[in-house]
Amino acid sequence: MNTEQSIELFRDAYARLRAELGKVIVGHDTIVEGTLIALFAGGHVLLEGVPGLGKTLLVRTLGEVLDLPFSRIQFTPDLMPADILGTNLVMEAAGGRREFQFQHGPVFANLILADEINRATPKTQSAMLEAMQEHQVTAGGALRRLSEPFFVMATQNPIDQEGTYPLPEAQLDRFFFKLLLGYPSGEELSEVLSRTTTGARVAVEKVLERQALLELMSLVREVPVASHVQNYAVRLVLATHPRTETAAPIASQYLRFGSSPRGGQTLLLAGKVRALTHGRFNVSFDDIEAVTPAALRHRLILNFEAEAEGITTDHIIGRILQETPRDAQAVNA
Amino acid sequence: MSDLQIIQSALERAANRHRWSRAFRGLWHGLLFGAIISLVLLAAHRIFPVPDWFMVATPLVPLPCMLAGLIMGGWRKPGPSETARWLDSRTHLEERLSTALELSASSRETAWRQLVINDAATRAKDIDPRSLMPFHLPRATRWALLVLALVAGLGFVPEYRSRNYRQKQSDEQRIKEVGQRLTELTKRNLEKRPPALEQTQKSLEAVEDLGQKLSRANLTRSDALKDLASVSDKLQKQLQDLSKDPSLKSMERVARASTGSDSQTAAGLQKQIDSLQKQAGESSSTPEKLDQLKKDLEKLQQAAKGLADKSSPAADAERRKLADSLSAMSREAQDMGVQLPQLDEAIEALAANQTDLFMKELDASLMDLDKLREMSRTLQQLQQQAQKLGKDLAEQLANGQPELAQATLQKMIQQLQAANLSPEQLKKILEDVSKAIQPAGDYGKVAQHLKESTRQMQAGDKAGAAKSLADAEKELAELMKQLGDAETLMAELNALSQASMCVGTGQGWGACKKPGTRPGGKPGPGVGTWADDNAAWGGEMTEHGDNSTLLRPDLAPRGLTEREQADTKDVLKPTKVKGQFSPGGQMPSITLKGVSIKGQSQVEFQEATTAAQSEAESALSQEKVPRVYQESVRDYFDDLKK
Repeated sequence: MNTEQSIELFRDAYARLRAELGKVIVGHDTIVEGTLIALFAGGHVLLEGVPGLGKTLLVRTLGEVLDLPFSRIQFTPDLMPADILGTNLVMEAAGGRREFQFQHGPVFANLILADEINRATPKTQSAMLEAMQEHQVTAGGALRRLSEPFFVMATQNPIDQEGTYPLPEAQLDRFFFKLLLGYPSGEELSEVLSRTTTGARVAVEKVLERQALLELMSLVREVPVASHVQNYAVRLVLATHPRTETAAPIASQYLRFGSSPRGGQTLLLAGKVRALTHGRFNVSFDDIEAVTPAALRHRLILNFEAEAEGITTDHIIGRILQETPRDAQAVNA
Repeated sequence: MSDLQIIQSALERAANRHRWSRAFRGLWHGLLFGAIISLVLLAAHRIFPVPDWFMVATPLVPLPCMLAGLIMGGWRKPGPSETARWLDSRTHLEERLSTALELSASSRETAWRQLVINDAATRAKDIDPRSLMPFHLPRATRWALLVLALVAGLGFVPEYRSRNYRQKQSDEQRIKEVGQRLTELTKRNLEKRPPALEQTQKSLEAVEDLGQKLSRANLTRSDALKDLASVSDKLQKQLQDLSKDPSLKSMERVARASTGSDSQTAAGLQKQIDSLQKQAGESSSTPEKLDQLKKDLEKLQQAAKGLADKSSPAADAERRKLADSLSAMSREAQDMGVQLPQLDEAIEALAANQTDLFMKELDASLMDLDKLREMSRTLQQLQQQAQKLGKDLAEQLANGQPELAQATLQKMIQQLQAANLSPEQLKKILEDVSKAIQPAGDYGKVAQHLKESTRQMQAGDKAGAAKSLADAEKELAELMKQLGDAETLMAELNALSQASMCVGTGQGWGACKKPGTRPGGKPGPGVGTWADDNAAWGGEMTEHGDNSTLLRPDLAPRGLTEREQADTKDVLKPTKVKGQFSPGGQMPSITLKGVSIKGQSQVEFQEATTAAQSEAESALSQEKVPRVYQESVRDYFDDLKK
């Protein structure tokens, strides 16, 4: 299969995935697009929204349309790391001998739904760190690799903070995107009600198998990026670093910490996926700009002043996008 | 054409179009910039006293600015990368062109490279730089036209210049004119009378330099006066040094006392006398007799007019009587040696009762008499002059006729050098020279040389005597030159004095008359200035010269002031001071009118007097005020304090 055919396949797979998800998920186009971008880029997604907006439904439906092993972990305060990773149990062997056998936890799947991840204790949350970054777990003194692709979709509830444990910065940084779910519009809500209050059950088809997905994920990485577009991504990341020469004024005013290099990687990878989904063979400024909020919003750490004034990271990112010129060297017409 | 060529061609066309577009915009922005500069220049010229080139530059500035804008705009052609990025942005190609261009630079042939270039080429075909960058007048054009209209409007607004500035300009103009005149005068003096002494030459050059400085530099009135005073002082000092020489002093004295006939030699005078006598014929008449004859003829002419149209016997008798009188006059004229042929013809016309012809002939006779009378008077004056010429060396020296004395000395030298000099001639020369020793005492070493010559002649040393006489002649010539230098310096001082007055009063060279005396020793049109010690009239005061008591309504300062005489304060009324020119004495009778002031005073009286007093004290301390006047000046300002 040549590149052109692979690209065609990618576009076809993307269109079909969206169509299948669209059968279940009403509206939330940006969230669906972001989730699929993260999927093809090989990144994890943190979904944040008030209860009942369809976060879990989205991930569950995605698990259904992808022909991949799917696990759902409901994070609770009493959840232990071993409950996620697995543990060694004394098992009776065939000859009556007893021996330790590792029982794989739910993390050993390709698609993980980490529901209400912020309800688990930091100890349990951190059990996900190695799995998310290294795609491996260390349990029972042995290193165990996870099957590719490994895709974690976590949800968290911004309200109802009692008994929750905010995700540590290191964990947050390992998420490719943080997607915020908003309320549906009137039409969307009406459609949701129509679909969920009747006896009709929507069946979705499996669209993409594991091997095809892996090939498309490797195709994404080949999309070329012009140097000035890449430079734009770099300048955006640098603009978030407070109190540096490259910092945007608002970053210096309201940020404690800026984006890590992972933010830049995310911008480019997400841009590449978006370029392909939009029928292009190259990444544009628009691609970078479109993915910036989802890629950076969870990587910026607000200072006390910002929190006191109710400034959000989205507000800061919006201002940085306004103030950072796309192409400083282009001729001024 | 390959995909890459299509992209490059599109970029090339866009780059060219972009270049011209920027040049076109630069042109109009240049016009706006130039128009703003013009507006600023013109406004500055209208408000502030800036140089006139501001005004000249106003219409010229926009053109070079437009040209500069055009060149700057079109100077640099944008590169392909820049153009690609710009096109991506302008045509929403989403970085297709720029990415394709970047990938095309890579030598590695990949599928992605081909895909991207192919995709970009497909889009590049549709790019039309003309529609992307149409030539239209930018917004700057409207602003430029507006500013140009403002410039044109401002062109009709009269310029504002303060009174002080106008006065300063006028002063500068006057100073330049004075400088030119001073330079011209000095040049003329240098050409006419080249100075004998190096010091005099330098002084004259200093005056010329000053004139040139005044005519070129923009000096204030006080600076110009200071410079003039400085050079005047220098000349004054030099003149004083020259005047210390006793020989020059005596020469000047005898020259003043003489009639000034030295310039004419005896031979020249005799030639003129002979010529006039030849013209006058054998006439022995004096001007007085000719006057009497003319008066008699005029009386007869009047009488003849009364008989013009009468034909009575009484009238005939009267005519006969007239004819007799005319005949008597004719005879009288002939006795005086005066030839009046028209008079005889008039008698004949009277006899023939031709009154018109008679009157005509009589007029002709009167005219002839006038001419004869003038000739006789001139002859008489020349004869008087000839009588005053020294006949020998002693008289010539005594009469202050050094040029004649020089000629006489040369004649004596020639005689002494001649081989056939008789003892009588030598004796005569010896007598003449001996007699001249005493009057030669006023001429430096001349007397000494004459004495030496006498001794040598007595000793029979003719060659030595001739040499001594030559030395005397040389000494005389040297003194003449020094006297000429002194006169030149005096003339320059007068010119500087006039220049000071012109600058001080703000008048033109012709309008301000130099103070002092007129030729002939008569009082000049003005009195001295504070800066000029010698400008005061030094002649003898006579009742004709002293007009201080005369009421001259024609010279009353009408129009010089807008105030009535009655309104003038007592302290401001002209002061008349009578006295004599002598140190410590009272001032001479001079009417001090002061500087005429028009309009209302802008300063307090006390302020003005304080300022004047300060200036006076400064002038006194710098010894710019003649000593004769210093006490009076102090008294005047002390009185003002009270």
